[in-house]
Amino acid sequence: MTAETVTPPHFCAAHLLGSWDEHHPQRAFIELAGQNAPNRPDGTLVVARREEMTEFLRHPAVHATDGVNYHMGAQRPLIPLDLDGEAHRKYRKLLDPLFTPKRVARLEATIRARTNALIDVFADNGKAELMLGLCAPLPAHIFIDLLGLPTDDLPIFLEFKEAVVRPQGATVDEQQANMLAAGERTYDYLARVLDERRAGPPRDDLIGGFLTVEMDGGRLTDQEIIDICYLLVIAGLDTVTCSLSCMIAWFAEHPAERRRVLAGPELLGKAIEELMRYESPVPLGHRWVTEDIEVHGRHFPAGSKVEVVWAAANVDPDTFPDPLTVDFDRPHNAHVGFAAGPHRCLGSNLARLELRVALEEFHRRIPEYKITPGEDVVYTNYGVRAAIHLPITFPAG
Amino acid sequence: MRVTVDRDRCQGHALCVLNAPALFDLDEIDSHAYVLADPVPGELAGSARSAVENCPEQAIAVAD
Ligand code: HEM
Ligand code: SF4
Repeated sequence: MTAETVTPPHFCAAHLLGSWDEHHPQRAFIELAGQNAPNRPDGTLVVARREEMTEFLRHPAVHATDGVNYHMGAQRPLIPLDLDGEAHRKYRKLLDPLFTPKRVARLEATIRARTNALIDVFADNGKAELMLGLCAPLPAHIFIDLLGLPTDDLPIFLEFKEAVVRPQGATVDEQQANMLAAGERTYDYLARVLDERRAGPPRDDLIGGFLTVEMDGGRLTDQEIIDICYLLVIAGLDTVTCSLSCMIAWFAEHPAERRRVLAGPELLGKAIEELMRYESPVPLGHRWVTEDIEVHGRHFPAGSKVEVVWAAANVDPDTFPDPLTVDFDRPHNAHVGFAAGPHRCLGSNLARLELRVALEEFHRRIPEYKITPGEDVVYTNYGVRAAIHLPITFPAG
Repeated sequence: MRVTVDRDRCQGHALCVLNAPALFDLDEIDSHAYVLADPVPGELAGSARSAVENCPEQAIAVAD
């Protein structure tokens, strides 16, 4: 990708503001959070204030879809993202225990090993491009281990998530068509995987678990398993890739804070939460309001589509004093970088583990680094915010 | 000091567990937070108050 990557104006309300800046979008998000009951020129309502957000999201009349269109190239409701109420709760009850902090801790050694294998490739070079060298492949490797898929399938994953998260095309229609086509290929791929797995011996991985788990006294159907895996692939690869790239880019440009974390590794957990707040890699989500409701004194008419901007809430000065300061010791940090409400990120504890282990190992091997002189970090804020070009230089060793 | 988690509001972010592991843990079955130490030992009162402010769902409450 090139430096011309820009956020299409239809993507986010903050992009329509004069203060929008691809490198530092936080100021535009602050401006959005400061508006009174913002909406877009097409009438889409925008929820951007932190205080309003938690109550809005947990309102039973606030749904994840309009019941017709599903997220990200899916032909059927994604499980659990496109479901509401009891149907949603039923699947979360099944999935939540698989992603608790204790459960995902089992993956720590694998994540560490994968991280080091990737760093080995460039550690002696004195320079590296970390999007392709580390941030993109790491979560994909981990996912393949988690689901129990052949390592050779890595390119299939990387291609699919890129096509779905940032669909190419000159118009919104073209982008939609490309996204649907990529979705189609993924459904076929997952169906083939399940056929093979049913024919083979049982294995102790996520797909193995889905094949044997019981829900409401019955097994999951192939279609249910595919709809879960499809979402896990979209939700769990790019998000970690992008978050990691934002964090390393930030540490590259803030050596004093980086050295603080190097000196006191126990600070890293808090640093990750604070950077999740400040960078808010997943900037927004959408909701549909099914009946007239009132939240925090604001009226939402039945049928409204609402853009919920996590990135704006995370720099709302009413909740986060001095929001542009990255303060690892921020005493109150109820950020919504992983959303809030019933659709709160299922994988947040896996994401935190991946980010922590990747940063620990990277900093252990390469404690001193900077953005390569004469080159720039290139950010995208389309889909998920990321440092898509992340060239660093470091003392070779 | 008493501390409670409203399990209807809690969505299992686990921030309370990260910030105050001596006070909260996540239920391994329904991944909602539960309280480990209630009443809160005096030396953990600060942690309990901070957990209230750090819960994205406003699910934690303390009372003296
Ligand atoms: C730093 C990385 C991540 C970030 C920033 C992130 C962020 C989010 C956000 C904002 C949502 C809410 C979407 C919405 O309501 O519109 C979400 C939902 C979700 N995430 Fe993540 N996520 C990350 C990593 C992961 C990982 C690693 C997985 C998988 C293991 C995952 C699985 C999911 C699932 C399944 C949902 C849907 C939950 C539901 O609808 O109930 N995420 N994530
Ligand atoms: S921080 Fe709040 S929502 Fe998250 S687990 Fe703790 S009580 Fe539940």
